[in-house]
Amino acid sequence: MPLPLKYNFRNITVRKSSTLATAFTIGLTVGVFLMVMALARGIDLTLSTSGEPLNLIVMREGSTAELNSSITRENLNDLIYLDGVSREGDQPLVAPETLTLIYKARKGLTQGSNVTIRGIGAMSNKLRSGFKMVAGRMFQPGLAEAVVSERIAQRFQGLDVGDKFRIQTSDYTVVGLFEAGGKAFESEIWVDGNSLASTTKRDTFSSVLLRANDQTALQSLAKRITDDQRLHLKALPERTFYEDQQGAASGALKGLAVFIGFIMAVGAGFAGMNTMYAAVARRTKEIGTLRVLGFRRRSILIAFVLESVAIAIIGVAIGILLALPLNFVSTGTANFTTFSEIAFNFRVTPDLMLWALIFGMSIGLLGSLLPSIRASRFKIVDALRSL
Amino acid sequence: MKFSRLILKNILRNKRRTLLTISSLVVSLFLIITLATILTEFTQGHEAANPMRLITRHAVSLGFTLPVAQTQRIATVPGVKSVMPFSWFGGIYIDEKNFFANFAVDAAKLREVMPELKMSEPEWQSFINDRQGAVVGAKLVKLYGFSPGQRITLRSPIYDRSVEFMVRGVATGLDEKTLYFHHDYVNELVPAWAKDQVSTFSILANSAEDVPRISQAVDSIFINTDAPTKTESERDFAISFETMFGGVKQFMYGIMGAITFSLLLVMGNTMAMTVRERTREVGMLKALGFQRGTIATLFVGEALVVTTVGALIGIGGAALIFNWIDLSLYIPNFQSFVPTWVTLLVAFVVSILVGLASVVYSAYRVSGMTIAEALRSTE
Repeated sequence: MPLPLKYNFRNITVRKSSTLATAFTIGLTVGVFLMVMALARGIDLTLSTSGEPLNLIVMREGSTAELNSSITRENLNDLIYLDGVSREGDQPLVAPETLTLIYKARKGLTQGSNVTIRGIGAMSNKLRSGFKMVAGRMFQPGLAEAVVSERIAQRFQGLDVGDKFRIQTSDYTVVGLFEAGGKAFESEIWVDGNSLASTTKRDTFSSVLLRANDQTALQSLAKRITDDQRLHLKALPERTFYEDQQGAASGALKGLAVFIGFIMAVGAGFAGMNTMYAAVARRTKEIGTLRVLGFRRRSILIAFVLESVAIAIIGVAIGILLALPLNFVSTGTANFTTFSEIAFNFRVTPDLMLWALIFGMSIGLLGSLLPSIRASRFKIVDALRSL
Repeated sequence: MKFSRLILKNILRNKRRTLLTISSLVVSLFLIITLATILTEFTQGHEAANPMRLITRHAVSLGFTLPVAQTQRIATVPGVKSVMPFSWFGGIYIDEKNFFANFAVDAAKLREVMPELKMSEPEWQSFINDRQGAVVGAKLVKLYGFSPGQRITLRSPIYDRSVEFMVRGVATGLDEKTLYFHHDYVNELVPAWAKDQVSTFSILANSAEDVPRISQAVDSIFINTDAPTKTESERDFAISFETMFGGVKQFMYGIMGAITFSLLLVMGNTMAMTVRERTREVGMLKALGFQRGTIATLFVGEALVVTTVGALIGIGGAALIFNWIDLSLYIPNFQSFVPTWVTLLVAFVVSILVGLASVVYSAYRVSGMTIAEALRSTE
């Protein structure tokens, strides 16, 4: 016969400070794990939601990023007329783009990071969703004007509406701020592609974005472009392109989260064992009484394990409460694939919370096993005779 | 300390609890020291920078290159002792997993601009005389077994070229996971747009006082050209990379703070349990005439001994492990992974403070009880 759950919960509330200290220890462990994972998740979600399902990105064969890719105008002409490229009216949905970097100081610091400047084509905006101006206006084609992601303008000096930045000998004026629903290009500065090309005296593009008619066309176009020896190009779905950056950007953080989480869990587990051993010792006589009443060894064991798991669940709740406010925090770090800033929000997602729950409950379970086994092994006479 | 035997007896009374507490302390301290060491390594670039060296890059960003011809102009700036190309090649050895830095330099000037690099005289000569020659850092030898005379091919995605080098020397003393080679040689192989272009120059000043002046003088030469420059001390250049990561420092300190707080809870809880269980004993001690201060000292002493033992094992263990296994070999961009004395000392002081803080309240409360109160306790 199992012990009534009420027995466990009464016991948890009797030693409030001890229960709370143990729960908090587990809570901090789970909380730290969640926070680091939320950081990694923020980066992953930014990258995984950035690609459009029917977009294909074309770069030079062998390049690892748009920044070190180059595509000639002849290449572009070959791409425009390929079968399967979507059209709007008689205009192909193809956007040649040119990328460069500008080093800007972070707000409040003398040093900062690289920010990606994307010189866009006439079709660029049609190929991306989520772009929305939130201040000022869009730049005028042909002029040395720029629109800046609002997140970036908030994180770096001198990128607000009206500010100027210099590339080579041209001064670009920021005329508007935009947002992009948390996508990767929400970490960028956009300028007119032709203007940027003449400023940087560059006669090649960094990448070409194109829209396929459908999934089948997407796959065959990718194969066609990549396999064409004459072009010396590679094409991959835009989704894959962004997803491939996840490992480099968030892999180390995930490793750190698991490493810190594991070691803190060992520490919290030892602490939990102490609490449970003390609880068992304090209740020796009580356990003897329960045994006399006819409760079996197994019921005693389960009761103590449940008690510990319940404390762990309180701990997990504390940890989640500590980490949840981060959902509203925006931050940024270096994406070393693009060698520039990626701005994003911490994301404490439901599946991370579930992992936190499993993680916390495991600490409670493993920490209570030995003390509970000890409790269930007391001999009735010895237990009753104890002070 | 006439009570030291009593304190020791008390500690050993519940051996399992003491062991668990010490273990919890040990793993937490190990973690804190590991994180602090990561942070140290993270700022190592500017901490270890040579105060007499400067780096020149394009004024806009490293996304632009500079004409190698600028070296001649820079060399004429007063206070400049030596200047050479120091150009990121981004070469990959076999697989992207094997990341290490590799730079195109002026072979004849390398030892002058970077006097920290140590290599034997014959190695220097054979490197300088072989256009295909490369100098590899000592840790690369440990990692990949490079040896003098070996051919290495690096593929650069930036320049879209695979280039073969011949190992001519093994260097110690500076960034031991870096490979250096002749700029002249690679310059012939790169595509047209990259010909005679470099990502940065490395400048050695006559003295540290010359550095700010050189920085201004160099940048003013090129300010109105197609390739304006930004020249900063090696230290500032390193910081410009560190800030790219964002708030790493605050982030790591936050985590270390959380671990310390959790340690305080663990110790506090243990000491509270220990003190509570001995309430009746306190009553008896008081009945025997022990003063409040003495009783409190017994408990504080107990906490201090436990934390000291835990701290010594945790801190000593971390120091031993990291000196024994060089983790930097396996982490890209890490030059070393050895905790500093400051880290170890701070960790020790923090653990003692945590030990003290954990017992103060319990000791104060129980030692302040009256004899009757304490003896009546049902714990």
